[in-house]
Amino acid sequence: MGFLHEFIKGVWRENPTFRIVLGICPTLAISTTVINGVGMGLAATFVLLGSNLIISLIRNVIPDKIRIPAFIVVISTFVTIVDLFMAAYTPVLHEHLGIFIPLIVVNCIILGRAEAFASKSGVWMSIADALGMGAGFTLALTLISSIRELLGSGTLLGIHILPATYSPAVIMILPPGAFLTIGVLLGLFNHLSSRRAS
Amino acid sequence: MRELLKLTIILTIICSAAATALALVYNLTKDPIAYQKRLKKLKAIRAVQPDYDNEPDQDFIDLPMAENKKRDSGHIRFYITKKGGAFTGVVFTVSAAGYGGTLEIMLGVTPGGTITGVEVINHSETPGLGAKITEDSFCLQFKSKNLGNTKWALKKDGGEVDQITGATISPRAVVKALHKGLVFFHDHRGEILKEG
Amino acid sequence: MEKLLIIIFGVILINNFVLARFLGLCPFLGVSREFKPSLSMGAAVIFVMTLASTCTWFIHRHLLIPYQVEFLQTIVFILVIAALVQFVEMVIQRVSPLLQRALGIYLPLITTNCAVLGVCLLNIKEGYSLLETIVHGAGAGIGFTLAILIMSGIRERLVLGRVPSCMQGFPISFIIACLMALSFFGFQGFFSH
Repeated sequence: MGFLHEFIKGVWRENPTFRIVLGICPTLAISTTVINGVGMGLAATFVLLGSNLIISLIRNVIPDKIRIPAFIVVISTFVTIVDLFMAAYTPVLHEHLGIFIPLIVVNCIILGRAEAFASKSGVWMSIADALGMGAGFTLALTLISSIRELLGSGTLLGIHILPATYSPAVIMILPPGAFLTIGVLLGLFNHLSSRRAS
Repeated sequence: MRELLKLTIILTIICSAAATALALVYNLTKDPIAYQKRLKKLKAIRAVQPDYDNEPDQDFIDLPMAENKKRDSGHIRFYITKKGGAFTGVVFTVSAAGYGGTLEIMLGVTPGGTITGVEVINHSETPGLGAKITEDSFCLQFKSKNLGNTKWALKKDGGEVDQITGATISPRAVVKALHKGLVFFHDHRGEILKEG
Repeated sequence: MEKLLIIIFGVILINNFVLARFLGLCPFLGVSREFKPSLSMGAAVIFVMTLASTCTWFIHRHLLIPYQVEFLQTIVFILVIAALVQFVEMVIQRVSPLLQRALGIYLPLITTNCAVLGVCLLNIKEGYSLLETIVHGAGAGIGFTLAILIMSGIRERLVLGRVPSCMQGFPISFIIACLMALSFFGFQGFFSH
């Protein structure tokens, strides 16, 4: 019961992108196509899972004074592992995501979860938290990139969805479009949750 | 003092574990990564000059650009393609300043200097406008062009090259780069073809 | 010389770190509510970016490459940046209480800032020389400061306006960023001729 609860929390109530507003840099930078969005989400989830797991395992052994450097070492190790594997086995995605793969190490979501959760909780719960936050992040990325890809290129997953008569709003895959999409979506989510609350 | 020692030791253990794990993964992925890089290069070469059975990425010659005699402005690498031992062509990269940044174009030519293929491998042009230079509809027109049979400028500049609707600077930069490349090849043809 | 000018104008206007490259968004959104803190944050960022760019360049050139351990780049860079910021904080504390009061609280915030790690990684990726790296690092910081100052100016004015409650805070800041990014987009093509 606890596992499922932690998992769902990351996906909805404490969605890292739309509720806590963390990790915005990579979210906006790579969400030009759905494939990139999902790829990044999965890579970040892998890092989150690995780091939450290890940090939870050694949480009683790390002295408080050096916990931040220790967390950083663990997280950057997993980031480098993901980077190397992607360069070897998914070269196209690796090229598209570019410097944002190593930048996963400073993705506030991961350090944030390590600090707030994994260093204080058991292994099983930390895994649930990692999977939940990762899923929430991936879903958010998928939503944003779907909107941007559909309106900006007329395609989804590379397949032309909108008819040829639709002139793509190129601005959607450019920086202004990214800011616009997330601004509108955040406003929408705020509105929906305040509606629910009242 | 003792506490500082303890902290240092623990941090060192963590770092060593991390470094070991990474070294292992690195060794595991080293070859696949090198393979992917090679594959990418060969794919680009084959896209512009498909007629070969050698290994052009092993068979190449570097020539200095020598544009500015004062400093070393780099080299251009010419990949030689051969079939059955005979030269079928040369592939090299040319660059020019585009609209959003430097353009890098891979260009394949016959030993005589006629273009067999053009591919834009690196650019920062505007998507939907200048970025259309990467599309076949633009690149294919360069096949079979050389210094002698074409006026190297856009149609609107009095030449014979088709441009792109809505973007002038990007295609213009491509034309400039290709022309520069063809001239360089023409001037150094002897050196390039005697090697290999 | 020409290349240096291109780098610095490029990174401040054309490829602005915040508005075009999406780096440094967390502090950009978090600190830009008022002008004064934004200025302090900007100054701290310029300082850290220039210093970090220089240090990581040396480490890459003289440590990572000779020992063929480039795959340790991410982990080494981030640790160096974190250590550097700690060290700088200590030095400022001792040397100048004035500077400490102005920049103090912003320095730790910059450690996990993707803009700092981003600029260090980009310097290596673009293959810049030492001078180009320093110029690029400083320029990136200046571009960030320019963006955050403009943003804080707008947000200060916006307090007097009427923003719907669901849009208050982050949503409206993103919309402002959209408009800023749009206007900076006009700088594209600055160098073509």
